[in-house]
Amino acid sequence: MESFQFNHNVAYALLFSPVNNPGKIKQRIINAAKATGSEGNEEREAVNFSFIDASLITSRLHLETAIHQAIIAESQGLLRTKTIHSEILFALNPTNNITEAIRRYGVSDTSNALFVVHIVDSPGPISDLEIKMKQAVDGTMVPFDELAKVTDWDKIEKYHKLANEVMEKGDAVQARTFIDNVAISSVAMKSVMQ
Amino acid sequence: MTISLSQNLIRSSLPIAQGAEAKVYKAHLTPESPPILLKYRFQKDYRHPFLNANLTRSRIAGEARAILKCLRSGVHVPGIRMVDATDGVLGIEWIEGQSLRRLLPGGAEDDGSDNVDNVDSMDTDILKEYGVSVDELMKLIGIEIAKMHRVDVIHGDLTTSNMMLRRPESFTSSDPNVTTELVLIDFGLSYQSTLTEDKAVDLYVLERAFASTHPDSEPLFAKVLAGYAETTGGNWPAIKHRLDDVRLRGRKRSMVG
Repeated sequence: MESFQFNHNVAYALLFSPVNNPGKIKQRIINAAKATGSEGNEEREAVNFSFIDASLITSRLHLETAIHQAIIAESQGLLRTKTIHSEILFALNPTNNITEAIRRYGVSDTSNALFVVHIVDSPGPISDLEIKMKQAVDGTMVPFDELAKVTDWDKIEKYHKLANEVMEKGDAVQARTFIDNVAISSVAMKSVMQ
Repeated sequence: MTISLSQNLIRSSLPIAQGAEAKVYKAHLTPESPPILLKYRFQKDYRHPFLNANLTRSRIAGEARAILKCLRSGVHVPGIRMVDATDGVLGIEWIEGQSLRRLLPGGAEDDGSDNVDNVDSMDTDILKEYGVSVDELMKLIGIEIAKMHRVDVIHGDLTTSNMMLRRPESFTSSDPNVTTELVLIDFGLSYQSTLTEDKAVDLYVLERAFASTHPDSEPLFAKVLAGYAETTGGNWPAIKHRLDDVRLRGRKRSMVG
């Protein structure tokens, strides 16, 4: 389990690749949102994570920045979406369209690799959390380094509208450093985007 | 009142410098994260809190937007790492390197006036570490400003203090001959404009900064303009013409108001 120890909060994250049940996870989140009563609460608790399509994440810092901005927004009562976990998806998307953010960056039927993130106020026992994450996702848990194999640079380039700029870069390494920096910066400044 | 998240981050950060508008810190978002630079626009007690919050928010927003626009267009600027407009905190990529002011003759603060005639030996010594000559450096300045002006961003405060050279150890390039990168910093006074006048004034401000910080800098600045002209292309004659006008009258166009 990877952790991001911010000053105020801690975020725990696992990377799954491949994922065998993306469609089911998505359906489960939708159903949990609609369910009522104590059963509904339980079900919501079982999927109380941010499920992020890992193919759209460029680096650990990219993910960390999105989590951090979501934490800032929540601490100031400035969430643009319903929960801190959906706010991460909103922060990742370069536009202000919430539906689009969830469709693109959240879990979808075609998701092959997923980050599962949970934000808490203070560090706690992670064994329970890890079990809950593994119960929600049918897939192989891999180290964060594996992200390099799943990142879909062409798609990220398209979402950030960087095709012309990338063409001017000398080689693939330079192009990726560039896309990574733009993606991180866009996430960081999302709250003051025009 | 409880301490906000960003305030808490600042408390655990290392103070670097303070100016009239902001304080600057070196921080880490998490213990494993790369360092970032925090620019904290602190509360001005002489301003009404409401006005203060609005001004701070719009300035942070303006600075972040200018940086992202430059970054997307391939201008060398630090990436953005966090924004908390409510608390007045802007976090940007930490650049491992040095300000140009300290790398050019006359700019070092502890540099006595007695070694002014020793100019050539001293600057080549410091710059050798970065693998560039003074002439190459001047050209880099011109190119970077031209790239920024090409996307209609006006820096507003071009000085050699607001430019940095990346240390070769922390810089990788596909071209082995390129050992460093000139980075433009501090977009706190920047704005967007397509006007030739604004671009000419931007250059004029830098020319004055050169003249007042670095002795005998006329030939140096000429090389900055040469680099700028080359990158600007067709728009250069108009800007050059306007720069000549600005030199005669100063940076304020109108003598009234």
